[in-house]
Amino acid sequence: MLNRRSFLVSTAATAVFAGSARLAFAAPSDGVLTVAMIGEPPTLDVMQTTTDLVMTIDQHIFETLYTYDAEWKTVPLLAAAQPVISDDGLTYTIALREGVKFHNGAVMTSDDVVASLRRWLDLATKGKQVAAFVESLEADGPNTVVFRLNAHYSPLIATLCSGSVILPVTTLADPLTEFVGTGPYVLKERRPDQYIQMVRFDDYASPEGEPSNYAGGREAIAKEIRFVPVPDANTRVEGLLSGQFDFADSLPVSAYDRLNGSDKSAPVIFENAGWVSMNMNMKQGLMTSKALRQAVQLALNPTDMMMAAFDADMFYSVDGSIFPKGFFWHTEAGIARYGEGDPEGAAKMLAEAGYDGTPLRLMTSRQYEFHYKISEVAKAYLEAAGFKIDLQVVDWATLTTRRADPDLWDIFVTHSNFPGDPSTINTLSDNYPGWYVSDQKAEAVAAYMNATTDEAKFAAWERIQTAIYDDVPLYKVGNFNALAGVAKGVAGYEPTYWPHFWNVSPKE
Amino acid sequence: MNRIAQALVRRLAGMAIVLAIVATVVFLIVRVTPGDPAAVMLGSDATPEDIAQLREKLGLNAPLVVQYGQFLWGLLHGDLGQSIFLNQSVGQALLSRAEPTFFLTLFAILIATAIALPVGVLSAVKRGTLFDQIVVTVTMVAASVPSFWLGLVLIQIFAVQMGWFPASGYGGPDTPFGARLHHLILPAITLGVVNSALITRFTRAAMLDVLGDDYIRTARAKGAGEGRVVLKHALRNAMVPIITVIGLSVAMLVAGAVVTESVFGLPGVGNLVVSAVLRRDYPVIQGTLLAAAAIYVLINFIVDMLYVVADPRVKL
Repeated sequence: MLNRRSFLVSTAATAVFAGSARLAFAAPSDGVLTVAMIGEPPTLDVMQTTTDLVMTIDQHIFETLYTYDAEWKTVPLLAAAQPVISDDGLTYTIALREGVKFHNGAVMTSDDVVASLRRWLDLATKGKQVAAFVESLEADGPNTVVFRLNAHYSPLIATLCSGSVILPVTTLADPLTEFVGTGPYVLKERRPDQYIQMVRFDDYASPEGEPSNYAGGREAIAKEIRFVPVPDANTRVEGLLSGQFDFADSLPVSAYDRLNGSDKSAPVIFENAGWVSMNMNMKQGLMTSKALRQAVQLALNPTDMMMAAFDADMFYSVDGSIFPKGFFWHTEAGIARYGEGDPEGAAKMLAEAGYDGTPLRLMTSRQYEFHYKISEVAKAYLEAAGFKIDLQVVDWATLTTRRADPDLWDIFVTHSNFPGDPSTINTLSDNYPGWYVSDQKAEAVAAYMNATTDEAKFAAWERIQTAIYDDVPLYKVGNFNALAGVAKGVAGYEPTYWPHFWNVSPKE
Repeated sequence: MNRIAQALVRRLAGMAIVLAIVATVVFLIVRVTPGDPAAVMLGSDATPEDIAQLREKLGLNAPLVVQYGQFLWGLLHGDLGQSIFLNQSVGQALLSRAEPTFFLTLFAILIATAIALPVGVLSAVKRGTLFDQIVVTVTMVAASVPSFWLGLVLIQIFAVQMGWFPASGYGGPDTPFGARLHHLILPAITLGVVNSALITRFTRAAMLDVLGDDYIRTARAKGAGEGRVVLKHALRNAMVPIITVIGLSVAMLVAGAVVTESVFGLPGVGNLVVSAVLRRDYPVIQGTLLAAAAIYVLINFIVDMLYVVADPRVKL
């Protein structure tokens, strides 16, 4: 049985091993890193989709103006510095780093940046949300761009950290056919379902500073990276254990002991990779009743649900705060009803609310096994409280279609990563399935959008979290950690949400 | 037109009708199945408006009859459509994945036949002996083994512990053809062993039927050697059902490749169809299933032809 102590010992050993090895192997290498991914990305155009698979692969080719450091604060990447914000908070002037080259040899200018960001504002889901606040976006000389907003929009810079990649103006097209960026690796060949081959970009202009999450210096140490789609999780484990892969992503937690005992690989745990939620339908059906949503909230036991899904406490944490400890946004504001599960108390609430025994349609998927396990435990607790549960198990593609129709479900189970900015949490959008519309949410979100300092933003975020716990558009189940594996001999790998392989030395 | 040509034309017309029915059924099933390629492509952040916009762009909002007409029109022109996700045509996607699936199926059927024919024949000849009982038991177990489980066991032993074979994939950009085939050995054994059980049992049963016939007794009475009796007189006459089951096994191998290719991460047609179903890549699902049906029909046609070769009494 795994426990936290053995986990800490093993990860500490891995970290020491990785750190010491990194100092020794910081020179460019002729080696190849073979990375086993969970599947084939649906596209390489990150403006079309921001799925984790696309983000993980694309970040080696493309770069954004800003990125996140270890505290998930925004720091410059292709930008030269933090933006200069006008006194009225509506104009953002962004200076660009000079001399940055694209993979086709052209030097990046403000024309490329403006054209790329306009494409992003037109095409990307997040870009379209930002576009509603953008009055104009213009170049101001060859190395400066200026955003003028029509209203305060404090998450602007956070939205320029992912998806809003900069491409040469000459390659912009829809759909994108040339994948040319400024990143440390150049796309050489993509053979769908077989491999995506990238080679070192010799003219890469790295940002400065100590590496920190996605920020700081980036060095393409490995000559080549091959991303290989391996949909079967067990095969990714075996491939890593056999020495075929240098890194394998998203491994089942049951593989931890085998990886830990292997002489060819080591487990890597990325803490707080994401959080699981049960999202409620506030537009139609049973869950339009706030009293019933709060009864669900009271009935559930997050510890039992997370334990059922993730086997050992080293792979999850239970925390009412939407953002986990260590994040700037962590707060316990409003979380009083997040507890140890009180079906009896929930039963009283049901009686007071006049629940008539209508089945509660809980929609879940086995494509993510932890969704299913969490749903099974939730079902037991909710039935103990007196709900009748209609557990609907469908595949993920079906779930994403059905959840768009408010007539078909009451609760669906999903998971998310921790966004760099709280305002980008899906549920806060009035249109996201669940259709969370409330006055207290709207007021808190408006206060957040108008905030110009971190302190003011934090105070507004506390109001948003309080509103979420009172209105219950979702039930936060808990935070989960991600298990990956790295081959012994590979040095310098630091776990991040979207694994990256610059600054990583391959085996000799 | 002679009788054989007439029979061939009749069979080909029948094949065309079968494929037309399959095309229609597949088209309808794919459209009736819940799930939306636009939602899959755009990810969980997508708004309903974004999804609707992409559906429009992909032509998914057109009436079903129009989509069906476009699909059939394309088929008549040899065009299976354009993949929604792969940035290539369905024909190109199929061709680029045909090599691993073809060789996997070929190796698997060779392995299955090489095991099944001698073991099945010997088991029938030595009916009731310990050898026969072992064969009956082992084939029963082997036929029940799920191929994904056997695949993982073989990976564990021969890739992880022995290091003889790669655990997954079909090689990288610089992998030569021979080395790519090396990647197919474990998956081919996986598929071949499971299918050999079925062929062994059929071979044994067919041989037992024939070995009890009068003409076998006559051959022995005339002094023919046991080897000649078994191989020339009995096996030749038992071949019709054996060819049938081998033909069926080839068709089943194409279906079995779906699971095996997923387990071994092979970029073949099986893997293509699994990915396409998960992503709801309608044109790829339609094209792949239609191609699989065409192969199935073609194999059956070839098997029918082989009956004539194996048994001159069979008429087309």
